[in-house]
Amino acid sequence: MSEALCVRGLSKSFGRPVIAGLDLSIAPGEFYALLGPNGAGKTTTLRMIAGLMRPDAGSVSVFGRDVLANPLGAKAIMAWLPDEPLLYDRLSPMEYLEFVAGLWRVEPALAKSRAEELLETLGLWAHRFERCEGFSRGMKQKTVLAGALIHEPRFLLLDEPFTGLDAASARLVKEILQARAQAGAAVILTTHILDVAERLATRIGIISGGRLLAEGDLAALQRQAGVAHGSLEDVFLQLTAA
Amino acid sequence: MFKPAGFPWLFLNEARVLWRGSILVRTHKYVLAPVIIVGLMFQGIALALAAQIVRHPLPLGQMVLVADLNLFFFFWLMLSRAMTAAIDVLYGRGDVDFLLASPIPPGRVLAVRMLGVAGSVAAPWVLLGGVLANALAVFGQAWALAIYPMLLAEAVVVAALAFALVVLLVGWTGPKLARRAGHMLALVMGVFIFALGQAPRFLPPAALGHFWLALLPAGDAPGLQYVFAKGLLGQPWPLAFSLVFSGTVFLFAWVMLDARFASGTITAAAYRPGGSAARQGGAFRAGPFAAVLMKNLRLLTRFPGVVTQTVYRSLTLVPVVMILTGRLRTGSGVEIVAPLLVFLTGQLALFFISVMVGSDESPELAASAPVAPGFLRRAALVAAGYATLVLMALPVTGVLARDGVLLPSLLLGMAGVLVSNLALGLRLPIPLVRADFGKAQTGTVLGLILGVGVSSVWSLAVWLLVTPRALWWLLPG
Repeated sequence: MSEALCVRGLSKSFGRPVIAGLDLSIAPGEFYALLGPNGAGKTTTLRMIAGLMRPDAGSVSVFGRDVLANPLGAKAIMAWLPDEPLLYDRLSPMEYLEFVAGLWRVEPALAKSRAEELLETLGLWAHRFERCEGFSRGMKQKTVLAGALIHEPRFLLLDEPFTGLDAASARLVKEILQARAQAGAAVILTTHILDVAERLATRIGIISGGRLLAEGDLAALQRQAGVAHGSLEDVFLQLTAA
Repeated sequence: MFKPAGFPWLFLNEARVLWRGSILVRTHKYVLAPVIIVGLMFQGIALALAAQIVRHPLPLGQMVLVADLNLFFFFWLMLSRAMTAAIDVLYGRGDVDFLLASPIPPGRVLAVRMLGVAGSVAAPWVLLGGVLANALAVFGQAWALAIYPMLLAEAVVVAALAFALVVLLVGWTGPKLARRAGHMLALVMGVFIFALGQAPRFLPPAALGHFWLALLPAGDAPGLQYVFAKGLLGQPWPLAFSLVFSGTVFLFAWVMLDARFASGTITAAAYRPGGSAARQGGAFRAGPFAAVLMKNLRLLTRFPGVVTQTVYRSLTLVPVVMILTGRLRTGSGVEIVAPLLVFLTGQLALFFISVMVGSDESPELAASAPVAPGFLRRAALVAAGYATLVLMALPVTGVLARDGVLLPSLLLGMAGVLVSNLALGLRLPIPLVRADFGKAQTGTVLGLILGVGVSSVWSLAVWLLVTPRALWWLLPG
């Protein structure tokens, strides 16, 4: 079976290099956390993988589909959740999900039943016909997450997905994402909450200055950082301080 | 320059925010140059006008009536603008909570906002009336300069009233309907003022004479009801009374609102969920195009200014009809209606496509979806075109019922102006009153000017098509 994500030699410059020759591989069913300090290039990396930004050099393929040569084919199996919720304030969650399902060509009856299920699971059922303009940040985040899941993507790109979520919602979202990964989907997320990365991710990558500094599970990262028995926070600080 | 957190410092900050948010600065960086040129032209015209006024002075009674009418119309036009401005500074700008959390006394914040709104609504009228006042002062009529304090005093009263009205309306109906009420007030007053100016064309002189005579004050206008008019005419005691009255009204409104503003009750009234289950329970649309089209139409119909802007574009035709039917002999009845409908089609198409462009809050969502890049533009064009044609269907049916021969020319013109202005609006969307609360304004005045021009050209073409003899009227000699 092909890799879920294969990134080779990815580079991007905005006057100065932001991503410099990045290589990443993620297997199907894997939960990958991409960590890094502010301005490390995490969001830029995810945007290039999502086909929203063209790299200066390098290649990206998702489940064997070349993002640069066949962007529509790759996007069809991906979901991108940005750090700011992409919502329409004057649509209700139900209308928003109808719109997103339409964009991904989900069969209407199936889309509707999935929408209802997601809204119920995420605790938005009572608000399904209210316009999103009055929603809290967490409710908006959950609505957008429902949108990201409605077409059952095989590859999920999540940029700070837990921002604004209360403890119960955050746990729920973690369970949903883990269930997707167990079902064979690949997940890559960025987060500044290192505990979340430590508990959720099967593999962690740490980038800084657009370069991958270290990669692997916690034990591997401890070895690479030379911090025996240290927490992920110790490892992260050790690696990014250099 | 001023002590931080003091009243002048806060007012300066408010003035800066209002100035940077004004349509002039927001729409184009070079727009000030033509505004200054037009201002100078106005000053020249005002000098010529002042010379005539000085040469043919009116009796005091008539002067009082003119002053009264001006104050009356200024009041209503300022009030409508002040209502929308009050909604913006209380609910739209989103910084009230931030300021309430600061150690600045809430009452000071409210007073500054009220005065800022007063200044912003007075500014255009002060500038417009000021050119005539300056010109009259040049000819030795210094009393005319009283327009400056009088208009500012009137604006202060208007702002106080607008804040009170807005707080009441928002608490009752929500900010969107309150804003719509403000817009509607401006529309109705605009058309009323124009219709009044056109009255001599449509009313018998005797009836009109009786009307004005009934309004004319007797003698040198005794009575308190003329005090503001006399203030505008520069009489010292009425002027002083007007200023004190204005300050009292302002203080009264400020005292009434202060406690509610400080407790956050006023801003909290805007938080209410919109939407209802009644029209959302149906099946999902099949396919990306239907889903995007439906989304576009929903956003269009829920755009805050859609009703007032559509009504406004329709009502602007009332003055045009009045001018044309009053003056032209080259066409009448339904022949005049056809080019006007073409013009309206163009204006609505331009407005709707601008809403589509301006209200797409999440373009990256669609960019991350498996749809071709041009797909969204096509969906926006179709939605705007569809909405325009739905609105125009009724008047077109009316034309068909009255004179079916005009229909081919009308449809040709409508199709032409629709395609032209949709394409134009996609590139150069017009400035919108506000995309939404808390959202940045989009668009350019250039698109507005070009759109009116394109609509006019198509309208003229259809007019010549349905009334070929109009060409002779247009040609000189």
